[in-house]
Amino acid sequence: MISFHTSRFGTLEVEEDKVINFPYGLVGFANLKRYILMDHRNTPIKWLQAIDHPDVAFLVVEPKTILAEYPIRIDSATRHSLQIEDDDDIAVLLIIRVEEDKIIPNIHGPLVINSRLKIGAQLVLYAENN
Amino acid sequence: MLVLTRKSDEALRIGNDIKITIVEIKGNQVRLGIEAPAHIAIYREEIYEKVKAENRLSANISLEVFRKIKEIYDKR
Repeated sequence: MISFHTSRFGTLEVEEDKVINFPYGLVGFANLKRYILMDHRNTPIKWLQAIDHPDVAFLVVEPKTILAEYPIRIDSATRHSLQIEDDDDIAVLLIIRVEEDKIIPNIHGPLVINSRLKIGAQLVLYAENN
Repeated sequence: MLVLTRKSDEALRIGNDIKITIVEIKGNQVRLGIEAPAHIAIYREEIYEKVKAENRLSANISLEVFRKIKEIYDKR
C-alpha cells in the first residue's frame, strides 16, 4: 500500500499495483510520473490524480463517451516505450475541461496506457486541419 | 541559442544518434528529415505548446467544477 495526500480527496491509500507510471510525465508536467485513476459511480468521468503533487489531478474520459469517432494510430516508438505486445492492453483516455458549459477534450494530447503493465504516455498528435 | 547556416541536402548531428537533414527549401518552408532513436519523441512546437497549455488549464479542476462537468456530461 502507498499513502499520499491530495488536496481534493484527502489522504489516499492505494495498492502499489494500481499506480500508473508515466516515465516522461505529461506534457508540461515532466516531473510527475506516478498517477492513479479513480473511477466514479454513475459517470464515465475519472480522475487521474498525481501521486507526487496533491493539487494536480486531471479529469479523463474514454474518447467514445464524448466523440463520435476518434481514430488514433499509436506509433511504433510509443508501442515500444509502453511495451505494448497486445492491442487489447491499450487504453486511450482524453483529458477534459469545461469552458462556458462546453466540455473540451484535449484531442491533440491523448493519454495512452498499457493497462496490463500500467505504463502511460501522453501523445502529441499533429492534425493537418487544426 | 546556437544558430548555424545549412544548405539543402546538408545535415546536422546532435550527439551521436540524432541527425537532421535539410531535405528541401522552398520559399518560407523548410522540409527536414529527422533520424533519431525510437524513444526520442519529436513534436511540432505549436502542437506541443497547445497540449501543454491545455494540460495546464486542466490540471487544477475543483470538485465544484467536476460536479458541473458531470452534470453537463450526464445531460448529453
